[in-house]
Amino acid sequence: MAKWGMVFDLRRCIGCNACAVACKQENSLPDGVFFTKTLSEEVGEYPDVTRSYVPTICNHCEDAPCERACPTGATYTRPDGIVMVDRDKCIGCGTCIVACPYDQRTRLEPEMLNKGLFGDGRLTPFEEQGIGRFTAGTVVKCTFCHERVDAGLLPACVATCPTEARIFGDLDDPHSRPRQLILERRGRQPLPEKNTNPRVFYID
Amino acid sequence: MIASNRIADGTFRVGVGLQKAWGVQMATAFFFGEAGAGLYFVAQFFGFVPGMVAGLLMVLFGKAGGHVLHLGQPLRGWRALTKVRTSWVSRGLAAILLFVVAGALHVIDVRAGVLPAGVSQLVAAVALAACFVIMVYQGFAMSQSPAIALWSGGLMPVASLTYALLNGVLLTLVFGFGEHFLAERPDTVRLLQVLAVALMLYGLVTVLCLLNGARHASEGGRQSVAMLLQGGFARWFVPLVIGAGFVVSALMMLAAPPAFAWMLAVAGLELTGYYAFRVLVFKAGGYDPALSFAYRFRH
Repeated sequence: MAKWGMVFDLRRCIGCNACAVACKQENSLPDGVFFTKTLSEEVGEYPDVTRSYVPTICNHCEDAPCERACPTGATYTRPDGIVMVDRDKCIGCGTCIVACPYDQRTRLEPEMLNKGLFGDGRLTPFEEQGIGRFTAGTVVKCTFCHERVDAGLLPACVATCPTEARIFGDLDDPHSRPRQLILERRGRQPLPEKNTNPRVFYID
Repeated sequence: MIASNRIADGTFRVGVGLQKAWGVQMATAFFFGEAGAGLYFVAQFFGFVPGMVAGLLMVLFGKAGGHVLHLGQPLRGWRALTKVRTSWVSRGLAAILLFVVAGALHVIDVRAGVLPAGVSQLVAAVALAACFVIMVYQGFAMSQSPAIALWSGGLMPVASLTYALLNGVLLTLVFGFGEHFLAERPDTVRLLQVLAVALMLYGLVTVLCLLNGARHASEGGRQSVAMLLQGGFARWFVPLVIGAGFVVSALMMLAAPPAFAWMLAVAGLELTGYYAFRVLVFKAGGYDPALSFAYRFRH
């Protein structure tokens, strides 16, 4: 069984946010909800200043604190390592949100689902077909586009990234590209001191 | 220049983000949980039935009600009982249910004497044990995860227990004022007053240790503490939590004349400080920057 994971190449990310747009489109995400964000950071002092981009996503941690904290079992880890939320079990208590060190979870408030992407209270046909995926008052997060992965496709953000800054694959396979990159370029996990063992790595 | 050491709440910048998932409703539920359970705990010690009833009602309506209002899907709330093995929220809900049932039975038994002696003692012990769990579990629920440095300190459960006991002692002094178990024994009143002052001092030290620990734990913790002591929340945290909640109320308690209004004022000040603590600690809870080491690659 594969253990899916992702590598972010910080040298390649140009902050175009195509990943975020692809994610929103693939998952029909309502206004204000992001499964992936590209954060920016200015580093240095004038005249030696640069801006770096830090893509973020649910890290599908091996020891996921969100799963441990969830009082209903709605958050669970699939055998392939993808951390999921069962919307039929989620009670919207928010415990997983405060347990996630990476701030990658969102509770869907009813107004989020009703106001529409244009904020005029009307849903576009695109939103209408997508809104059935969600239940108000429950928590949502990145699923590594599990439907696509199950069908043998790449997650939407990976497939869209124009600079191939996102590399997806089986971390248990020593010959997979992400595994090779992690080894060759000393991949680092975000906030390793939190002891969550994320399946997302950063290389620079 | 390091850009990640700033509040980046709601923006697409690297920095400390603030949690928004738990707000005033949860703070209110926590408040009633610790105040109600503390009151019951102390009241049962003295066999003070009105205090026990008040504690039960505070937990049942204040705490459970606050949680129900907070839930996104309240009708599924029963599901929170299914993960007692790993989740402190689940354990807490189980304790609340046990406490309400056993506590109510014990109150009925104290009044009417309906249970055999052995069962009566068992029910009283179960009620007290469940009550104790409610007094501490909120701290464990907050410190269970390493996500928010301000909450994840090991002293959070100690703070919960200290506040719960303190609330219980003060509310017993208020609700029990003029009742025979206090009126006929001035030494008991004095003992409770000394206990309250000791708990205030202990609570103050615990809160300061919590802040100190968070400040040195991570960037998120440092920013949270800065917000509480110097930033936007300082005008509430310092005068209410530290000033009214501990210092002024302790001084007033030391000089307390045996007057109901005085006890009420002390309890009011302490409870105001405690409620402010709950709300502000929630609001100031900050996540560490997701990739706080990004800049280190370049230097």
